[in-house]
Amino acid sequence: MPEYVNLTINGARIRVPKETSVLDAALDHGICIPHLCHMRGVLDIGLCRLCLVEVVENGRSRITTSCTLGVEEGMVIRAHTEKILKLRRNVAELLVAEAPNSRAIQDLAVRCGVTEVRYPFHNASCVLCGRCIRVCSEVWQSNALGFVGRGKDRHVALPFYERPDYCKRCWSCREVCPMTIVPCDGPMKEGEEYLCGKCASQLTMVEYSPDSCVWCRLGEGFQCARQQP
Amino acid sequence: MRRITSPDDLAALSQQVRRQQHQYATTIIACSGSGCRAGGCLPVWNALRAELDRHGLSDTVYVRSSACHGFCEQGPLMVLEPHNIFYCHLRPEDVAEIVSETLVNNRVVERLLYTDPVSGKKVISEGDIPFYRAQDRVLLSQNKLVDPCQIDDYIATGGYTALAKVLTLMKPEDVIAEIKASGLRGRGGGGFPTARKWEKCRRAPATPKFVICNADEGDPGAFMNRSVLEGNPHSVLEGMIIGAYAIGAEHGFIYVRNEYPLAVEHTGIAIEQAFEYGLLGRDIMSSGFSFDIRVARGAGAFVSGESTALMAALEGKLGEPRPKDVHTVEKGYGNLPSNLNNVETWSDVPLIINNGSTWFTAKGTAKSPGTKIFALTGKVKNTGLVEVPLNTPLRTILYDIGGGAVDGKEIKAVQIGGPSGGCIPADLFDLPVDFESLADAGAMIGSGGMVVMDESTCMVDVARYFLEFLQDESCGKCVPCRLGIDRMLEIVTDITMGRGTENQLALLEELGETIALSSLCGLGKTAPNPVLTTLRYFRTEYEAHVRERRCPAGVCRALIHYAIDPEKCTGCQVCLRSCPHGAITGGKKEPHVINEEMCSRCGICKEECEFEAVMVR
Amino acid sequence: MSFTRQNASATTNTRNRMNPSPQQAGCQGERWARVPTPNPLAEDGYKELSKLGAILEGRQSRPDQLTEVLQDMQTQFQYLPEDGLRIVAERLGIPLIQVFQVATFYKAFSLTPRGRHLLTICMGTACHVRGSPRLLDTVAGQLNISPGETTPDGAFTLQKVNCLGCCALGPVAVLDGVYRDHITPGKLRKLIAAIYKQDKKELRDNA
Repeated sequence: MPEYVNLTINGARIRVPKETSVLDAALDHGICIPHLCHMRGVLDIGLCRLCLVEVVENGRSRITTSCTLGVEEGMVIRAHTEKILKLRRNVAELLVAEAPNSRAIQDLAVRCGVTEVRYPFHNASCVLCGRCIRVCSEVWQSNALGFVGRGKDRHVALPFYERPDYCKRCWSCREVCPMTIVPCDGPMKEGEEYLCGKCASQLTMVEYSPDSCVWCRLGEGFQCARQQP
Repeated sequence: MRRITSPDDLAALSQQVRRQQHQYATTIIACSGSGCRAGGCLPVWNALRAELDRHGLSDTVYVRSSACHGFCEQGPLMVLEPHNIFYCHLRPEDVAEIVSETLVNNRVVERLLYTDPVSGKKVISEGDIPFYRAQDRVLLSQNKLVDPCQIDDYIATGGYTALAKVLTLMKPEDVIAEIKASGLRGRGGGGFPTARKWEKCRRAPATPKFVICNADEGDPGAFMNRSVLEGNPHSVLEGMIIGAYAIGAEHGFIYVRNEYPLAVEHTGIAIEQAFEYGLLGRDIMSSGFSFDIRVARGAGAFVSGESTALMAALEGKLGEPRPKDVHTVEKGYGNLPSNLNNVETWSDVPLIINNGSTWFTAKGTAKSPGTKIFALTGKVKNTGLVEVPLNTPLRTILYDIGGGAVDGKEIKAVQIGGPSGGCIPADLFDLPVDFESLADAGAMIGSGGMVVMDESTCMVDVARYFLEFLQDESCGKCVPCRLGIDRMLEIVTDITMGRGTENQLALLEELGETIALSSLCGLGKTAPNPVLTTLRYFRTEYEAHVRERRCPAGVCRALIHYAIDPEKCTGCQVCLRSCPHGAITGGKKEPHVINEEMCSRCGICKEECEFEAVMVR
Repeated sequence: MSFTRQNASATTNTRNRMNPSPQQAGCQGERWARVPTPNPLAEDGYKELSKLGAILEGRQSRPDQLTEVLQDMQTQFQYLPEDGLRIVAERLGIPLIQVFQVATFYKAFSLTPRGRHLLTICMGTACHVRGSPRLLDTVAGQLNISPGETTPDGAFTLQKVNCLGCCALGPVAVLDGVYRDHITPGKLRKLIAAIYKQDKKELRDNA
């Protein structure tokens, strides 16, 4: 029998097995915490910083990612305060300004409440979420992909840029990549990128229920961790 | 070498070495730290030894290759004892005169004495030099007394007596209590109470445990850890052994950045010698306590100095930070309890044990006791390492110790704490340099680097410089740091190019706050500090760039023009030859002209012109 | 082998990817051109392999020794040859991609051979405030290279470093392992010219 733990998220008292992360606990109970690098079946690394929450302990609150935070008895979590919503919005704004040509990223941005992008658009083809790498090393044990380089030169690569024999050609890396979904209205022209957010499932729901799961079709094919595979 | 198996052994050895040292009538302390080596001291000391041989003085004069004195700009330098004479700016040619005049005829060589830049007078003794006099050189003064490659020197000054006291008279809990009473806070930047960290690590259930010394000192402008580690490595070792005993750790690491090859070498030698004396290894001083240390080298990454990144690097993995939801004192190196402290923190430990916690709390403030070494550099007359109690006002450091600004200019700001810190403006110079006061002002002590800036420094350019540095050094893992710093740099670059808008200033602030709160590690969290403090205290400079497309300091290349004053130009062709872009034309003895299209405004011509004929507008 | 990127631009995250079709995953795994560079392990295989063997001595199946091994290799070969890295991965028991990761993360390592003379210029804060950017201008003018590049004749490699710890003596440059303090554009020009002269003389003497 697994041990259970009680904690409070957004005022709701919930009970989850001991080894759960706060993010999984919230998603399982219908609380929407947007996320990008979190994926069921692989380790959480907390690098997209979208799933940030406030942890209240001893009268003080600190901000951390809910995917790397394990649940503890009596924990108090606030996932949708003004402060957190603003942070999430700003981080999502950075993401969409960097890679507007991804439907998943556009949807995610609008879900996080981005209504305008105040930076000049870039046109990146990878947001470095690390899903492909983790699927390759942890699920398939192939270790054919990894992050290479540092800082703004960081990119995903095969060893010495050559596909090794031990790459199983399973193409799981492509399946889990948020960039490989064809944009709905066709690709944006370079220099003419914009914030889309036209998907009806996102726009109305964001205003009325930023904190509840609305079974939105966040990036068709790019499954939000809540959707059953 | 005999093993030291008890405090009595140690005392006997110490006495023996001191007797040996007293046999020499004169001791010459020849600074051989990295700074003086860069200044060319090794040929001077070789010449000195040869000259002493020639005069047959090698048996009465002992030349000690000491560690960094911290006054690097005056190097190569030496101190003669018991004469108490300080000579600086030495060249191999000066050696003959020193030996014949001072050693043989007991006369001072005036021209080699230090000249006080403020009064213009010559000073004979180190103790009278204003730079040294206003300091409290608790740690740094030891550097004079030891040759880092001779453990005997350290023992002769009382080294390892703190360890002997701890192992024979104190229990681990007593050691932690003493450090707690002293109020020692981490000297690497975080300022976390050291005893609390040790306690948490001690209480962590898993074993084995590790103690780690962070000698990665990546802050540009900081070199105090280099000086202490390459100069007096045994002080760090002693501190670590004491700490390991208190925590219950059996293994230790010293992680040194690979840009400090001398520190790596000296630490290695020190560890070997400590092993030979039985001060490291099994059953230290017959106490039953065993401990060993290994040196690991960095490979050129500032971010690897962050505690989780450092531990990952020690494991042979990529030196990038990990989420810190479980503290490293519980799960650090190899997921085992690991206690990480800075070089200076470790060095303070034996002093506190020997002198008592009340000696430590008598200096500094209640919340920030003790002394700290700062690296004072930039546009100030006396640059070097400054050790002061933590309640010293900034003004004292800048003017009494530093001697004030150079070139008759005014000090405009001091950048404290490296890329994680901020710029303090002149009207706040009465602030004491303790943890709280600086944090309130938006900066932080950080490693203790202090870069002085005058009116010829553009604060927007300073912000851009730090953002470029952080962009270069960011590991790139998390979105706010990787993309956020990129965007901040984009905006600040726009401002320096005269393309900035008012909205961008507000956006900078909001973006800065976001990055500070949402980044994964300390690098990202403190990355906006240089931008936010310069915006807070020097907003007028930003506004001049944005509203008037003007750089008040005359630095931002896109906003200035270089031209040659035809009345002052003598046609000497020096600037013509030194221009890297071939932008200057003009025949001999004819006034030269700068082609604005080809000019990159690098400023080399202005630096090289001896007639001050190059103007910046 | 060295690697050049197609469509490299100033902000390298910006790549002109207009239509990410399912055929092309975001990572561009195979769209990087390989440019052949000398590989000492191939040329003088036995001698160089034995040097590598000496470095790997006693480190079989010790993944924690990766960074130390790479540093020793960098000192021995002046760069990290690809074949050597493959051997390291096998011997230490680490996935090759991890070795590649560590080799590309740190500034101390170079995957391409360095020039005969390594010129490192400190860009720390204290040196910056004293005008170290002008030194980069000087080298750009005299040798026509930027930081990280090597002159076409293989003579000089220019590197930036973010603080050598000699801040009171800035600006500081290190040329062939020798530290030079208070370096000015003029002094640097003369130093470089002197080395070229010395190189030419050695070539003549050895010819």
